[in-house]
Amino acid sequence: MAGLELKSLHKSYGNVEVIKGVDLTVEHGEFVVFVGPSGCGKSTLLRMIAGLEDITGGELWIGEVLCNGVEPRDRGIAMVFQNYALYPHMTVYDNVGFGLKLAKTPKDVRDAKIREAARILQMEHLLERKPSQLSGGQRQRVAIGRAIVRKPEVFLFDEPLSNLDAALRVETRMEIAKLHHDLGATMIYVTHDQVEAMTLADKIVVLNGGVVQQVGAPIELYQRPANLFVAGFIGSPKMNFVSVTVEAVSAGRVAVAGKDMASIAIPARTDGLKPGDTVTLGIRPHDLSEESGGAIVGRVALVERLGNETIISMQLPSEASWLVVLDGDHNLSIGQNLALSFEPDRAVIFDADGTARHPDLD
Amino acid sequence: MSLVRKYGLSVLAILVSAVVFLIPFAFIIMMAFKDRTQAQLLDFSWPQGFHLWTNIVEVVTTRNWMLLTAFINSSILTVASVTLLVIFAAMVGFVLQRRKTRFNGLIEFFILAGLMIPPAVVPTIWLLQGIGLFGKLHGLILVEVAYGLPFSILLYRAFIATIPRELDEAAIIDGARPFDVFFRVILPLLWPVTVTNIVVQSVAIFNDFTNPLYYLPGNANATVQLTLYNFQSQFNTSYNLLFTNIALITIPPLVVFLFFNRQIVAGMTAGAVKG
Ligand SMILES: Nc1ncnc2c1ncn2[C@@H]1O[C@H](COP(=O)(O)OP(=O)(O)OP(=O)(O)O)[C@@H](O)[C@H]1O
Ligand SMILES: [Mg+2]
Repeated sequence: MAGLELKSLHKSYGNVEVIKGVDLTVEHGEFVVFVGPSGCGKSTLLRMIAGLEDITGGELWIGEVLCNGVEPRDRGIAMVFQNYALYPHMTVYDNVGFGLKLAKTPKDVRDAKIREAARILQMEHLLERKPSQLSGGQRQRVAIGRAIVRKPEVFLFDEPLSNLDAALRVETRMEIAKLHHDLGATMIYVTHDQVEAMTLADKIVVLNGGVVQQVGAPIELYQRPANLFVAGFIGSPKMNFVSVTVEAVSAGRVAVAGKDMASIAIPARTDGLKPGDTVTLGIRPHDLSEESGGAIVGRVALVERLGNETIISMQLPSEASWLVVLDGDHNLSIGQNLALSFEPDRAVIFDADGTARHPDLD
Repeated sequence: MSLVRKYGLSVLAILVSAVVFLIPFAFIIMMAFKDRTQAQLLDFSWPQGFHLWTNIVEVVTTRNWMLLTAFINSSILTVASVTLLVIFAAMVGFVLQRRKTRFNGLIEFFILAGLMIPPAVVPTIWLLQGIGLFGKLHGLILVEVAYGLPFSILLYRAFIATIPRELDEAAIIDGARPFDVFFRVILPLLWPVTVTNIVVQSVAIFNDFTNPLYYLPGNANATVQLTLYNFQSQFNTSYNLLFTNIALITIPPLVVFLFFNRQIVAGMTAGAVKG
């Protein structure tokens, strides 16, 4: 039984700070996904948990143990690398059994464990092969097998699917989800693929520039992003933003308007807002719909007709460019004007500093 | 015409290498078959009579079977030196490539210095005498290791750079201690370079003439190359025996070479393209 507790973790290379104080609690058995743009420190954070990078400051607790100075082998973790990192000179059998051999597990026990792992991952027929004789997907499965046999408390994955082709990625993703379900172990998974994050995670941690932006369930992050960064990062296509001015503030609602938009009242937290403030309004492309006399009018710049939906790139009067996804097929011509409306409670108001003003939940 | 153009250069290259490599070898073999008087002529003539066996017997039994002692000494010297060289060079290369510290520059300077600066014989003898290793076989082993190390390290380090670091990390997570990482994961992967190192260094050490001459005096300590002196003197050289001796001591390097031949090329080009 092991959860994790990260207390104000810091990591610096020389005087470059890469991880700037991460606090995070992971319950036992949870599937946690780290997402963020490239270079935000996801891998670094994962490797600190694994013990492959020293911790510059803060505390790392795995289960009941303070792990800052504990060797990787004693942390009860296993890790799956992006490029598999299988030992090329060993057979699959020896690759999977290497850790057990180092731990001086008796031969018969070792054999049983290796075969058990091979059975779970359906790779019994591959045991005698060398890694060079395997496909990418099979290699990744061996790498996962190598993690399983160690019966770790915590599995760490660093972009395990990014070297696989699209179809295999979907398949392996499902296998990992099933594995998590079957083993019930804690898993921490790094990816920059939104779909992986949304489908696998119990909890997503969004990182940017070494700082945690938001922690929460996937749907919560989608519906109630904490700030502009999370709103723009989660969801595809990206959320549209427009700068607007507060016109009036009433109980639980802010009326906003701007160059691009007629006045509309949006449900939001109103404390501290006064007419004349500049805020940012965010609305997802899927929440917009065509309606003559809608609050927003723009010029169509590009149309992609997919049959079931139509993706429109639109130019607003202020030169801001938006994406709109309309259900069904719409035959629009480039250059024509398009009027759009949206449900006020689908929009999010962001402060000047980027913090979201969601209305309080009842 | 086109045939000449197509194959002319290749044929020429083959002929030149045949002349350069095979003719001296043929000369040695023919000399080994001759008797003393014919050998004295030092010409490229067909041997008259078959004297190889008597030559061999004489060469081997000369000076109280000195050649046998020499073979044993040289074998010990070669095997021990090359073993140490391979292990130490691989270790140094591994640590140097993987662990970046501010001493790396200095260490690399020493390695290059070891490659470039000619060995100083007298101070080395003085040092060996000081620590009681002068004229001892293990003293010479250390000397050979020291001389061979820079080159071997360079060979290894370039190759280790092509082994992904994730492999070390995977092993560390699997519970490997530093020695496990090195001996169980890295060293086996270095096999192509190790073969190259074994061949290059063992031939060099087995055929080494000067270092045994300086650092290992005494008949009981003779190495194979020094046995050549048995049949060579300023006024009276038995060329038939000298060349028989040469032929005999060429055999071990030749065997090593033939044995590892294929893998040497693999080692030279290994890492050039990621497999
Ligand atoms: N050894 C190092 N020395 C200095 N800076 C480093 C070192 N390793 C990583 N960094 C820096 O730390 C930051 C975080 O790197 P990290 O590998 O964790 O990014 P990431 O989020 O995993 O990105 P990606 O999605 O591209 O894998 C980067 O800006 C990188 O330049
Ligand atoms: Mg990364």
